Amino acid sequence: MQNNLQELSLILNEMSTDEGTTFEAVFVDDEILEVTCSNNDEFSIHVVMTKKQILTVTPLFSADEVPTGKVNELNSLLLRVSPAVPLSSVGLQDNNYILFGAMSVNTTIENIAHELEVQAENTIDVLETISPLLK
Amino acid sequence: MSILKDLFKAIKGGVSEVGESVVDANLVRILEQDIRDDSNAINKAKQSLTQLKGTEIGLKRKIDSLATDIADYEAKTVEALEAGKEELAIQVAEKIADLESEKDMLFTEHTALAKEVVQLNKMIKTRSSNLEKGKRELEKIKTVEQLQKTTASINKNFASTKSSGNRVADSLARAKKKQQEWKDNQKAGDWMEEEESSSDLDKKLSEEGIGGKKTSANDIIERLKNKNKS
Repeated sequence: MQNNLQELSLILNEMSTDEGTTFEAVFVDDEILEVTCSNNDEFSIHVVMTKKQILTVTPLFSADEVPTGKVNELNSLLLRVSPAVPLSSVGLQDNNYILFGAMSVNTTIENIAHELEVQAENTIDVLETISPLLK
Repeated sequence: MSILKDLFKAIKGGVSEVGESVVDANLVRILEQDIRDDSNAINKAKQSLTQLKGTEIGLKRKIDSLATDIADYEAKTVEALEAGKEELAIQVAEKIADLESEKDMLFTEHTALAKEVVQLNKMIKTRSSNLEKGKRELEKIKTVEQLQKTTASINKNFASTKSSGNRVADSLARAKKKQQEWKDNQKAGDWMEEEESSSDLDKKLSEEGIGGKKTSANDIIERLKNKNKS
């Protein structure tokens, strides 16, 4: 599991997608790879692995950053936005809103890279849509 | 299997509250043990199934050969009777009776064996489906577990930037600005490429003597010579 992440980080750091996106992959922990995509270097993606899946998590904002009166409106907007976002979905993990992607560990490196660049782009799209509701 | 079912219930309850607590390590261990048990049971069942199948085939062959023998002796009994050798016929008939009782015994054994094979197959099917279910449940737990590991790192990220009120808005603005710059750069790159390719074209054309022809020294001498002639 860890070896695969290691391999992924080595390849990602060297590669560039058809769209010209490059990646910076750094281990923040033995099992967490933090990937910054050149198309959005403000919001990095945390990549973890299980035996079957590669999980990509972009922390969007903490629930504390949502004004109390706006929580329901924001949640409902996010639920409606999520199906329209390609390849990623929106979730709540602990106290944090996240953009989330999951793929099989058998996914080709090109597709993993594509998922990551799309997730990085989605982050900007989603945040732009909901940012008027944040503090 | 009901134990597994109960376990699943417990795990499901755990997952829903996982935001607050790490998945119970014991629960994972139990589930992993169950998966190992299922897969061992399946392997064992498959082994005994192979053995049983072998025995079943052997029995069937013996039964078939007994049936052939019986038919053979029956024909001989008829022959003996036709030849008027009744005593011999009775002896053969006794042999047939022996063979038939042996065949019946083997047949009962064979039926029991066949039933056992069916049962084993059923058991393998159930265990396999349990195994797959168990693996899926375990994958859910592992997923949650791995995701939770990111939480700490995420919280750290947020904590360091929390002081600024418009963290998201600021980051978003910066990301958008960079995105725009990137697009502009790409456009500039496209423009440059186009410029270069069009000047390449002009160069090619002039090399081929098409379009704006450059006057060479030889052309001038030639022209002057012609001028003198006229």
